[in-house]
Amino acid sequence: MKCIYIDKDEALTFLYSEDNHIEGQSYEWEGEDVVHVHTIAQPHAFGHVTSAYWHKSVLPTAIPSQEQYHIVVFSDNEAKAYYVNSKFQSEECKVKFIPSKDEMFSRAKGILEVDILSDKRVMIIGLGSFGSQIAIELAKAGVGEFSLFDFDRVELHNLARHTCTIKDLGRLKTNAIKDAIIGKNKLARVDLFPININEHHTLMDKEVAKADLVICATDNNQSRFALTKCLLKNNKVAIFGRAVTRAEGGDVFRHRPGGPCYNCLVGSQAYAMAAEEITNRSQLPAYVSEEEANAMIQVGLSSDIEPICNLIVKLALVELSKGQNSGIESLENELEYDYYIWANRRERRHVGWAPFNNAKNMPTILKWYGARIAKDEHCPSCSSNTVLDLGEGLNDGVLSENFEGIELDTEE
Amino acid sequence: MDNARLELEKAVLATKLPPNMYMFRDMGTSNAHLLIGARTNAKNVYTLKIMLKDFPSSAPVVYTTKPLKDRNGNDLEVSHELHNYGTSDGKTRICHCPDSSWTPRVSLYRVYIKCRLWLECYEIYLRTGQSIDTLINEINRQGGNPTR
Ligand SMILES: [Zn+2]
Repeated sequence: MKCIYIDKDEALTFLYSEDNHIEGQSYEWEGEDVVHVHTIAQPHAFGHVTSAYWHKSVLPTAIPSQEQYHIVVFSDNEAKAYYVNSKFQSEECKVKFIPSKDEMFSRAKGILEVDILSDKRVMIIGLGSFGSQIAIELAKAGVGEFSLFDFDRVELHNLARHTCTIKDLGRLKTNAIKDAIIGKNKLARVDLFPININEHHTLMDKEVAKADLVICATDNNQSRFALTKCLLKNNKVAIFGRAVTRAEGGDVFRHRPGGPCYNCLVGSQAYAMAAEEITNRSQLPAYVSEEEANAMIQVGLSSDIEPICNLIVKLALVELSKGQNSGIESLENELEYDYYIWANRRERRHVGWAPFNNAKNMPTILKWYGARIAKDEHCPSCSSNTVLDLGEGLNDGVLSENFEGIELDTEE
Repeated sequence: MDNARLELEKAVLATKLPPNMYMFRDMGTSNAHLLIGARTNAKNVYTLKIMLKDFPSSAPVVYTTKPLKDRNGNDLEVSHELHNYGTSDGKTRICHCPDSSWTPRVSLYRVYIKCRLWLECYEIYLRTGQSIDTLINEINRQGGNPTR
């Protein structure tokens, strides 16, 4: 027996409308006896598409002459569904409902985890291997509103570490991730910004002001520093995450108003500056040759990215559900560090770490380590008493200090 | 750049350089820049144009206001060896700091010093043909300053 899934919200809209009969679409997973029927065409259809005729109370007398189709009939507070084949033979199907808005958050029904996040807005900058996973996890957790920033399209070399699939190739990441979010939470409101955030600081500032939380999942410090400025101005919380070379490890930083900022972190001992993972050409200067670039681009494994995304999601949920009955309240008192470090393998920067099977009290792989970062009293971003780097020691008497005869070329 | 930072940068420059040697122009526009004079040890004079869009969130783009030439008299082309981003519209864009090691703490004066060092290396290249990249790495090692 075929099983027909009906979206309850669409059914209710139809039942409250003036129409007695409408034509929608059905999408059949062929050979699986599963059909999803809709009153409206779905943006990215799947399976075999045929018509779905929706009726109130009675069937119409005129029967459409089509090869095959599905019928949904509502009468006596009951929904019935039929499959009609090309010989006009009909067969009753089993009806199942996709829950309506007010049923979505019932944990027993298992669609979304909690409803306390349905009015929270999360801004996600960067929808690569980090941002895409985080977006979908937050949607599953019930976050109701998103603003997504990424100007990239889904490319072949992304697929191994990205949530997008082959059928998304060439699509804007913003749009593909919106579909993935809606696929988990059909009520989610998603605003799309397929732009380079580094060229739109005013817009970034406006969106930061609207967000309850910002996730910075970009691959460059330029965006992190620019975002920091907006966070400080708007008193917002953000979580920054990244992988280091070949994803041999990674780190996560949480910015809270009044606490240390990303710039304080960069100036601190705990932070390893040069280790950023290089995953695409645009992170390298233009003069680096194609050959050199290929040697420098060292992408890690998806399973190495996963744990870092997971901590970002946990920190995000702690921030978003603070003081509410979220089921993870106990974490609030434990995830209290500003900076978190993770190593996947004992390589390069982590080569001196202890082996996992004999670590004793030494740092080892596959474990999170938290660190408190001191607020830098001379921070160029968050302090009013900035002390700049004047490059002392750089010159070392190499350069003559005779400025005679200098006339500025103001012509150009 | 916000006003507080601008004042801080001006205060630093005032203690380091004569006032006629630099000039902030078009501030508050997307073309905001600092013109700053440089006289190398060999007494050649250049004007550097330090673009301030997004400064200090990102490393400023720096040009020489006149095109720089290679040893054959042609405009410098984008090159790792010669550590520059090439010449267009009559300006050569030099590389003073990889984006990955930039921090907002770096002052315009430090950017200037890095560019002065670059120009010294450029002139050694003109005289001897040595690679600018090698020379810069050499200076960084001697100065005990790793990557910047
Ligand atoms: Zn700070």
